[in-house]
Amino acid sequence: MSIDSAALSLSSRGAAGRPAPWHDWMRKAVRLLLGLVIAAVVWEGAVVLFGIKPHYLPRLSAILAAIAATPQAYVDGFLRTLAETLIGFVAGGAFGVLIGIAFFRLRALREMAFPIFVVSQTIPVIAFGALVVLWFGNTLLAKAVIAFYLTFFPVTVNTLLGLETVDPRQVAMMRSFGASRRQLLLRLQLPTALPQIFVALRLASSLSLVGAIVGEWFGDTTGLGVLLLQAMYTENVVAIWGALLASALLGTGFYACVAAAERRLVFWSAEQ
Amino acid sequence: MQAGLQTKETGPVGSLEDAAEPLLELRAVTKTFGEVTALARLDATIARGEFVTVVGPSGCGKSTLFNIVAGLEEPDTGGVLRFEGRSCHAADLLGQVSFMPQRDLLLPWRNVVDNAILALEVEGVPRQQARAQALRMLPEFGLAGFENQYPHQLSGGMRQRVALMRTFLFERGLMLLDEPFGALDALTRAMMQRWLLDVWQKYRRTILFITHDVDEAIFLGDRVLVMTARPGSVKLEQVVDLPRPRRPEIVTAPEFIRLKRILLEAIEEESIKSFQSATVREQTS
Ligand SMILES: Nc1ncnc2c1ncn2[C@@H]1O[C@H](COP(=O)(O)OP(=O)(O)O)[C@@H](O)[C@H]1O
Ligand SMILES: [Mg+2]
Repeated sequence: MSIDSAALSLSSRGAAGRPAPWHDWMRKAVRLLLGLVIAAVVWEGAVVLFGIKPHYLPRLSAILAAIAATPQAYVDGFLRTLAETLIGFVAGGAFGVLIGIAFFRLRALREMAFPIFVVSQTIPVIAFGALVVLWFGNTLLAKAVIAFYLTFFPVTVNTLLGLETVDPRQVAMMRSFGASRRQLLLRLQLPTALPQIFVALRLASSLSLVGAIVGEWFGDTTGLGVLLLQAMYTENVVAIWGALLASALLGTGFYACVAAAERRLVFWSAEQ
Repeated sequence: MQAGLQTKETGPVGSLEDAAEPLLELRAVTKTFGEVTALARLDATIARGEFVTVVGPSGCGKSTLFNIVAGLEEPDTGGVLRFEGRSCHAADLLGQVSFMPQRDLLLPWRNVVDNAILALEVEGVPRQQARAQALRMLPEFGLAGFENQYPHQLSGGMRQRVALMRTFLFERGLMLLDEPFGALDALTRAMMQRWLLDVWQKYRRTILFITHDVDEAIFLGDRVLVMTARPGSVKLEQVVDLPRPRRPEIVTAPEFIRLKRILLEAIEEESIKSFQSATVREQTS
């Protein structure tokens, strides 16, 4: 069913060449909801039917009930982790694009700094996290910095890659119109690189969440990572699953937002 | 040898223009890329309002010539480049000449109108004003109703017309068209040629037009420049004295055939040379 709807949406986009109309969107939303309901029923049914011990897999209803019992902890944790993720993602994305542009324009800078960037990425995030906590303490900023650390590099690399795919004949044409370097960058080079940049941003959306959660493990009082850790220490399986569901919701929601932004902004690359 | 082959006649337009200053003048222009000499002491003069076509074997330096006139490449020292009566460097011509490269090079994220106004935008014309100007021009370019389409939704002929419109909107004294119809099928191409003549006659721009098609060169041009094999220079400068407006049937007129014979002979000679030097290079390398 999901394959069918994907094929349908593809063909309708291809023919019309613009985003799917409203009722198409509704149908997709309904199908998604239906899929989730079926998955939930299968989960609940399997646990009851096969008598799976709650230690391995609790019933979905039990998890939802546990969340409903203390919703504030989950809402606070969700919002806190979301804030850390967003700050890290936005800062990492912006920094990555800027450095990518700088590397593209200044060959000497690239040759000096790129190896250092690569080395920085080989440091395990745990070791880096310990350093960051030493520097910034147990603050929101510390988590955002770890999220930033995981996101900026893929964005830098893909920005550089994307900028290098620019057709030199297009550059020559723009120059013959009298374009300045700034006009070249804004009207030709960045738009050309945009599809590549978004590939990295989608990856970065997941990585920044990982960074925020790992960051929380170094010590904090709110956040989804904190909930996970607490549940692990108390061996509260239902709470682990609760934190997991909340993280999954945050992760998919964020990824979906980035992917939606991509579809809006890079509408042309799917059509070529 | 060059002088002997020149068949410079003074047509009705020629006598008028000879008195006036030429728009573009190239004297002994040479361009080398490392070991390769692309152009060697090339001379050419283009008068205002003229439609000059350039033919020559591939690799003889036609695009290099255009790149110099568009300001993208600086020729070697020693040559003279004059534009609108003033001696200048190639770089001074950036933004002064309306250049249409060999491919349409449309930007996929811009619709028809926004692609057409690209050069105007670079020039600093406000977007709304540029768009209004482009919208008025659409019907003439056979693009009415297509203003909001994106390049991937257009046929090859339409994409080419958008690229031409971009070139026309960038109003400069000289237009450079590098094989604009080279990638089109024969029927579309014939249509585009007639259409280009109509538009040219209306706007009276000076056009320098590269093609590898002799029929096209004669059908469109006031003059045809035949280039030598690399290193390129002008081998033959042939005035085309066919009346305008030119009908499609003109290609069977005796005068047309006569010109075609002269040009083909010259091109054939150069093609053989360029073919031979290519084989020699292969054998020695
Ligand atoms: N930027 C460049 N660098 C090195 N060689 C070049 C460059 N541009 C052109 N050439 C060489 O100059 C010669 C003429 O090329 P070109 O002007 O493109 O020929 P045409 O357009 O007549 O086919 C070719 O041998 C080509 O390889
Ligand atoms: Mg060429």
